[in-house]
Amino acid sequence: MPRLVEHRIQFPYKRSLGPVFGAFMTALVERKILGIRNGNKVLAPPLEWDPQTGEELAPDFVEVGPAGTVTNWTWVPEPTEQHPLDRSFAFACIQLDGAHNSMIHAVDAGTMDAMSAGMRVAPRWRAERIGKINDIECFVPGEDPEIPEGDTGEAPEEPVTMMEYFASITYRNPVSENAERAGAAGKEKRLLGQQCPVCARIYAGGRGYCPIDAVELTPEHDVDLPQRGVVSNYTIVTPVQYPGQTETEAFARVMIRLDGVDVVLGYQGLIDVPVAEIHPGIRVAAMWASEAEREDDGGRSMISGLVGWIPTGEPDDTSPDLLNKVL
Amino acid sequence: MSFQPTAIVGIGQTHHTPRRRDVSFPGLIREAAVRALDDAQMTWSDIDAVVLGKAPDLFEGVMKPELYMSDALGATGKPMFRVHTAGSVGGTTGIVASHHVQAGVHTRVMAVAFEKQSEGNAQFALGSGRGASLGAGGAFAPFIRSYINRSGAPEHIGWQVAVKDRQNALKNEYAHLKIADISIEKVRESPMMWEPIRYLESCPSSDGACAVIFTDEDGGNAAASDGRQPAWVLGTAVRSEPGSFPGRDAVRPQGAIDCAWDLYGQVGITNPREQIDMAELYVPFSWFEPIWLEGHDIAEVGEGWKMVDSGETEIGGAFPVNCSGGVLSSNPIGASGLLRFAEAALQVRGMAGEHQVDGANVALGQAYGANMQYFAMWIVANSLDPFG
Repeated sequence: MPRLVEHRIQFPYKRSLGPVFGAFMTALVERKILGIRNGNKVLAPPLEWDPQTGEELAPDFVEVGPAGTVTNWTWVPEPTEQHPLDRSFAFACIQLDGAHNSMIHAVDAGTMDAMSAGMRVAPRWRAERIGKINDIECFVPGEDPEIPEGDTGEAPEEPVTMMEYFASITYRNPVSENAERAGAAGKEKRLLGQQCPVCARIYAGGRGYCPIDAVELTPEHDVDLPQRGVVSNYTIVTPVQYPGQTETEAFARVMIRLDGVDVVLGYQGLIDVPVAEIHPGIRVAAMWASEAEREDDGGRSMISGLVGWIPTGEPDDTSPDLLNKVL
Repeated sequence: MSFQPTAIVGIGQTHHTPRRRDVSFPGLIREAAVRALDDAQMTWSDIDAVVLGKAPDLFEGVMKPELYMSDALGATGKPMFRVHTAGSVGGTTGIVASHHVQAGVHTRVMAVAFEKQSEGNAQFALGSGRGASLGAGGAFAPFIRSYINRSGAPEHIGWQVAVKDRQNALKNEYAHLKIADISIEKVRESPMMWEPIRYLESCPSSDGACAVIFTDEDGGNAAASDGRQPAWVLGTAVRSEPGSFPGRDAVRPQGAIDCAWDLYGQVGITNPREQIDMAELYVPFSWFEPIWLEGHDIAEVGEGWKMVDSGETEIGGAFPVNCSGGVLSSNPIGASGLLRFAEAALQVRGMAGEHQVDGANVALGQAYGANMQYFAMWIVANSLDPFG
């Protein structure tokens, strides 16, 4: 059983809603639910196009609900933090009064036994509404909407046109045996490589396969790589600021060609070299994290524990082909 | 094997802009699709299948957006096919759509590709959501340094491509970046972003979409007899190779060469520089123009920059490249490849407006993606037998 490691990706997105979803979200702030007329039927929530024909729907909005009928449902016994409610609830298809289709929303019914197709539900409105679908906290059994005390249902100052959305997803990834061995080697300050038995190419880190010959690389193919090399190419990046970008100043990434093997490590960090002084030919040696500094990234990076490369002080390598070594 | 001749009879694109806050992204795609239908004189019900391409879902933060866009694309109840091959995706999308017709599976197929970059951040997404992301420019800068070193090209070549493409963009009503006073000095003095790539040698972030409608030989002939010149798809090719391995030639990848010669062989091209009248190449950073001129054997190795320097790749030159303004002027990433392919088709249809190349009978569209490792190319012409 491989070890599992969690990785999380998060980023805020700005979603433009367009004229139809925008109108729907704006109305939610006023405690209204809009549908759109499609021939002699009403679609709620509204769609921008006829789902059958693809033809554009005129923005002929109709207020529906607020109560509706559950047409189908499923029970969520153990909600996670991503669910709309922190207790057991139902996801239900709800046909709002006046609509000819149903929308999916949460129903806070207490117990599964309280749920049935055909039951009547009404919205529980959130006090702070911003023009998002969860302005309706959920639906509750019965005919009467739950409205916070003193809520006048005023229209927003500006129509809602954008939706901010914070995406967060956590993965649990298995760590491959090759990544485990590369990580263990890193703890011993060794740089693990693997040599393909067919083409004899050497790959850095726990790659686990030769992409040229499509053969699996296993412990018998492990080789120790030299920990000295030369800067063969580089770039200096002026970072673009976005949420999660950890760099604020210009930073360099360099290619390191390892001595004696045809291996180039891409986009490495250089230590103690100002960006203005970076050039091909600098002789460097690997620098490893101490036990205390080491973060277990679960094999996510090819060479775990490698902090970067530090100049050895030797004279530059002036081979003319150095600049052309990128990969 | 027998292939059905395949014709392009409809092309549509949006006006490309930094942000389209007024539309949902299905709404953005609709604009391109509706223009393509109008061009083809078709309605939604005429289309048998839709092929949709876009770059990583992290760009907009919507996973598998194709699943909820069937109504926007009139595709309810029809086959809907998603393609994803990184930066080359737009090109591959056009190729996959053309194959549905070529194979006789469908008669009328719409290819659609898009990106709404304003909803997220491409640098974040390309870095897989990690900090200290290099972005595409950072990843490619060393390749470009290597090209410059190998070819001995003077540094003004990059500036010159940037000026040429931006001047071409001024003639393209759909282009995003329009810098009326673009000049060598302006490019040279723009900030260094990813040494040796300057700001004005880089593509913008755009919202936009492109749609192309394919039909069979009868459909193509019917359009032609109606006075609507079709573009005939004479050949298509895709190749890929691993992104890095010892001994890989990063400047002249084998996959790019193989892709081109597969394509040239299908069409009967032995001398691409002479037999192809114009090309739309995927040039997100200016130096990729000479890199691809060499990578696809249009120029001899080490000579691509000389075609740029002599003005040969300008609209009035012997081998015009990126007459639309190219990726340097509009970059809705997922659509960028299809825009190249569509511009090649517009050119041979004689419908490229102010950026039309006189006598463009045979045109090349090309896109590449990821670590210069995915390639997509096609050749279109204004007849099925352009070389007689």
